[in-house]
Amino acid sequence: MKTTERHPLSLTARVMIFVALAIGISMVLIGHLVLNAVERHFTEQDADELNVINQAVVETLQSMDDPLQQPEALSNAVSGHHGVYFQVLNNRDQLIFSTPGADFAQSAAGLSAVQKIHAGNVNIWHTDRTTYRGVVTQFVSGDQEYRITTAIDMNFHLHFLQEFRRSLWLIMILTGGVTLLAAWFGVHQGHAPLRGLSDKLRNIQADRLHVRLDLRSLPLELQDMATAFNQMIGRLEDSFTRLSHFSADIAHELRTPLTNLITQTQVALGKARTLDEYRELLYSNLEEQERLAKMVNDMLWLAKSDHGLIKPELVALDLSSELKKLFEFFEALVAEKHITLSLEGHAPAVSGDRAMMRRAISNLLSNAIRHTPAAEQMQVRLNLTSNNMVSLSVANPGAEIPAEQLKHIFDRFYRADPSRTRQSEGAGLGLAIVRSIVEAHGGRVDARSNRHITTFTITLPSSKSESN
Amino acid sequence: MRLLLVEDEIKTGDYLRQGLTEAGFQATLVRNGLDGHHLAMTESFDLIVLDVMLPDVDGWRIVQSLREAENQTPVLFLTARDSVDDRVKGLELGADDYLVKPFAFAELLARVRTLLRRGSAPPLTDQLRVANLTLDLPRHQVTRAGRKISLSHKEFCLLELLVRRQGEVLPRSLIASQVWDMNFDSDTNVIDVAIRRLRAKIDDNFKPRLIHTVRGMGYKLDAEADNENN
Repeated sequence: MKTTERHPLSLTARVMIFVALAIGISMVLIGHLVLNAVERHFTEQDADELNVINQAVVETLQSMDDPLQQPEALSNAVSGHHGVYFQVLNNRDQLIFSTPGADFAQSAAGLSAVQKIHAGNVNIWHTDRTTYRGVVTQFVSGDQEYRITTAIDMNFHLHFLQEFRRSLWLIMILTGGVTLLAAWFGVHQGHAPLRGLSDKLRNIQADRLHVRLDLRSLPLELQDMATAFNQMIGRLEDSFTRLSHFSADIAHELRTPLTNLITQTQVALGKARTLDEYRELLYSNLEEQERLAKMVNDMLWLAKSDHGLIKPELVALDLSSELKKLFEFFEALVAEKHITLSLEGHAPAVSGDRAMMRRAISNLLSNAIRHTPAAEQMQVRLNLTSNNMVSLSVANPGAEIPAEQLKHIFDRFYRADPSRTRQSEGAGLGLAIVRSIVEAHGGRVDARSNRHITTFTITLPSSKSESN
Repeated sequence: MRLLLVEDEIKTGDYLRQGLTEAGFQATLVRNGLDGHHLAMTESFDLIVLDVMLPDVDGWRIVQSLREAENQTPVLFLTARDSVDDRVKGLELGADDYLVKPFAFAELLARVRTLLRRGSAPPLTDQLRVANLTLDLPRHQVTRAGRKISLSHKEFCLLELLVRRQGEVLPRSLIASQVWDMNFDSDTNVIDVAIRRLRAKIDDNFKPRLIHTVRGMGYKLDAEADNENN
């Protein structure tokens, strides 16, 4: 279901979502803190005022003999305070005094009296007309017990708070918006090097693989990526160069035998020949054709191996017994050149494809035999290396191969010595096939050369380490 | 020996028929799968040489259908493909051998002869004899004109192969495979050197010359072909 696959969020969107969340949460927190502080301040202020009024009422009650008879005295007790209401009841629930307009009696009725008025124990009463903050206290004078309900009209506060809340949120939303915009701009600016990078990448074509990104012009965060990219381009350039060389080499290698075929056939047909001459021509053609066929087969094999189409049929292989068989195979060749072949060392079994491994080792051996001077000694050594790998090395005496050439010795069509005749060398694919086979087995190849000895080494995982 | 050749490529088919006929076989050529299947089912052949890639029915289907009909004629596949899967598939379906194009005609001929010989076990004998050459198989001893010749183990095996298949041209790949069990295309001239050394011991001081080079194809052992050019 590729079509319904969701696109990952853009980097900008990701950053913006985080910034918006952070701003939103801090704004809400700040808003609540500020509003709470203001409300708390009002509450404390109101509590203080209630306290003052309550004191005044209590003092007035104290100064009176019979408050029931002089309600006017109470009404004067709080003169000068605006929006202040109170009611006084005696212990027989008779209303002694009530400020005109006070309509909170019902809300206050069930409440128990408090000892001391503070912000924590004042109540808020809503009536139809208005909202009060109020408190109930008790006052004992002689045998009289009074219940005093004091209240302040807080409509004014509420109104102020509402206004304040509105402007606070407005400011916050505006601030948040500006911050978001700034963040978006910052992210956009921050991505500028990325856009520059993709412009540069867009310009890299197959024929311009030498282009590298300049690390100094990039911000720190992108340098890792650019380094990785440069390395990737480097590898691509390398393979691409090798591939184009390979194609050129193929063309060249095919051209030589084809030219021979065409030339000799045309020359032969140029005039009437004897039967023997025609036969000679056919033989000669056949030799060229066989070389072509072998080259095509080898190249096809390598191409398949490049595409992972060569799958080794793995069996446990005892390399020393394989080597003994191969020594028998090369017996005649070695005897002809009076070369001595020796096998040293032991190694545990490796898992490999018998025919492929024989081919690889055979290529190494024939290569070594070819370059060993007559009557010298060639040595094959088996080893178990420390990391549970089995190494097989073929060492032959002979001229040193310069490091520069050694590096390419496993490349296709590479010949260490260009002057060597093609006929004696095969197509120059033997060592490339060795490498392909060994790599298909999860191993690696290596070549070293000093002034007297050239050594080719195959390293393969032992079958024990593979089963783990 | 009757051979059925199923090959749609015109030149390949013609030359294979000519080559097989000249090698002494009675070769019938058909150019498509249906005719091939029909002939294989109605007439009796000793061997079928079958191209896998045919325009109508592929070679695998034909061999499968033959085997299902209890027809056990040996089948040699020819194919341009060369992957292990193809090989395994062909052999599982009942093919007896497999040759990948481009192949050498000598190789095909040798494989055809091997398949035809299969089933008829080589006569159980202790001695092989050609002209004045005698091989004592259990003792691995060779005498020529009454003189003992000492050979290495593999030289003896090589000579035994040449003698057992005398008169046949043996391609180098077949020699490498049969004598040394090396089933790959070697880069070396090992077989040529081995033959040269064997020839030095067997032929150089004797008449008639037995081991002959068939240029461009391989080697053969023949007591009566001494007049051929080498």
